[in-house]
Amino acid sequence: MAERGKRIPVEKAEKDRENAPKLEVRGISYSIDHKLIIEGINLQVKKGSFVGIVGPNGCGKSTLLKNIYKVYSPDSGVAFLDGKTLWEMPDRERAHNMSVMQQENHVEFDMTVFDMVMLGRFAYQRMFHTDKAEDRKIVMEYIREVGLEGYENRYFLSLSGGEKQRTLLARALAQKAPLIILDEPTNHLDIGYQYQIMNILKRQKLTVLSCIHDLNIAAAYCDEIVLIRKGHVFGVGRPEEMLTDENIYRLFGIHARIIPNDSTGKLHIIFLPELQKD
Amino acid sequence: MRVSNKKLFPLETKTRYAVFLVVMAIVLLISMILAVRLGSVAIDFDTIRGFLVNKIAGKEVFPVTWEDSTQSIIWDIRLPRIFTAFIVGAGLTLCGIMMQALTRNPLADPYVLGISHGASAGAVSVIMYGYLAFLGHYATMVGAFAGAVISIVLALRIATIRNKVTATQLVLAGIAVSALFGAVTNLMIYMHKTGSDKVKTAQYWMMGSLSGSSWEKLTYATLAFLVCFVIILSMHKKLDVLLLGDDVAVTLGVNTDRLKLIIILVATFLTGIIVSISGVIGFVGLTIPHITRGIVGTKHSRLLPASVLVGGTFLVIADIISRVIVSPEELPIGVVSAFFGAPFFLYLIRKSHGHLGG
Repeated sequence: MAERGKRIPVEKAEKDRENAPKLEVRGISYSIDHKLIIEGINLQVKKGSFVGIVGPNGCGKSTLLKNIYKVYSPDSGVAFLDGKTLWEMPDRERAHNMSVMQQENHVEFDMTVFDMVMLGRFAYQRMFHTDKAEDRKIVMEYIREVGLEGYENRYFLSLSGGEKQRTLLARALAQKAPLIILDEPTNHLDIGYQYQIMNILKRQKLTVLSCIHDLNIAAAYCDEIVLIRKGHVFGVGRPEEMLTDENIYRLFGIHARIIPNDSTGKLHIIFLPELQKD
Repeated sequence: MRVSNKKLFPLETKTRYAVFLVVMAIVLLISMILAVRLGSVAIDFDTIRGFLVNKIAGKEVFPVTWEDSTQSIIWDIRLPRIFTAFIVGAGLTLCGIMMQALTRNPLADPYVLGISHGASAGAVSVIMYGYLAFLGHYATMVGAFAGAVISIVLALRIATIRNKVTATQLVLAGIAVSALFGAVTNLMIYMHKTGSDKVKTAQYWMMGSLSGSSWEKLTYATLAFLVCFVIILSMHKKLDVLLLGDDVAVTLGVNTDRLKLIIILVATFLTGIIVSISGVIGFVGLTIPHITRGIVGTKHSRLLPASVLVGGTFLVIADIISRVIVSPEELPIGVVSAFFGAPFFLYLIRKSHGHLGG
């Protein structure tokens, strides 16, 4: 449970805020059943930047994000959002400042796309004053933004995977938080939807922290890439610096050739696996 | 009752929702009037009208053509019983909705989770052993509440594996908890009562009965119900968010730990009160919310008022059936609700199997 009211002193907070990163993670460690999943992770996300977390399966990407958005409480370490300690923020205030899009989890009770996106407005609503005209306007705006216009009254469970993910993205955006965290946002989606979701995100001019599986997507969208390997930060830098043949081999055990993609102006990663010969 | 038609239900517009509430209110009124009329002693409508008008006006508007005993049957026996049936039905429905939001599982209700049996064991222990006597009338309720708290903690502990409540675990936990507390209840009754008395008492606590209704018990049960209803209704949005899962609820700004604690406290308190006045009546909290969801949708702002109305009406009708079907004898009301609810329960288990992977 969040402790309310406890803040760091005003002057310090003010000073921090001016040059502070949007999100800062200091020395976060987390273990499950006495096994360290992540250890001493440091991370900074500058205002307005798009930061991707890249690493092999089971390296602790998702665990790190869950520690930031408070599903897990870390064994040690702290996270600051706009210079304020994240754990001490009241739940609603945190939801005003940070939204999260997770992989679709199974819901037993069905609801319409409109109602689902409206739940993103929860942190702005009080007691019986719910679903006001302003909320409805924002909800419709983001349903349009993710291209689901006309789906308002469709039932969530009847949607395709891509439509569900876009609904969840609209819900996260309806939170109107300046920072959005994406925890495996495009898993199970085909390549078209993956780029579509990323494009929608990029349009929003938000600060984004996302774990990304597809290295070409990471290269195309990220301002900065954090490589994670076996629960530790392996490297931080611009895509050109991080996505090298050497790093990709260290992380994923596969060689790659990195060439410029003429049509996007970004990097293009061509994998060079050793194919099994018949 | 209703077969939900995919195109017609859920009722999306406000007007349709309002019409549904009005229709249910009319059904409720008709069933209440029938409930006064029907029973081991049939009372004709003229008498009912005459008596009620005189009672409300406080003077003799209609000439008294009925006997004092009829008057006593209406005022002292049937009316408190009918309203108690409504409150018990409404309360069990409310408890069911709370448990379903808490476990995110449509199979949850106070009976299935064994909490009703826990409350009943608590109430019986207080009656049989007489501790808490300093609380007077409230001792039974406090005992029932304590029993409910113990059993919900037990049931949720067993049903939760890695922070998730699966359908199978839920049902198994419920079987274990209700078997345990049912056995405890019976043991206490058979140790303290003799002859036909013990069978009767055991039947009351295990199968439910509204025969002990009085205006006094009705008053406090109604107050308790209203308080719980207002608390839960004020949190309707939080309940909606909770249905999405803890992980999501946290990111949307809900303090899930506190919310769950409030739900558990309110649900056990209300279950305790209801069981202390009616014994264990099964399946109401399971069937009614599910049917109502099919009609008005999942949103709690709509679901809560509508299903409470449906649940209350259902139990008024169930009580009529229990009094009429083997007249002049009386069937325990739990038998009627089980006949309706058990097939429904089976259907829900079948339906949930695919999603939750058994």
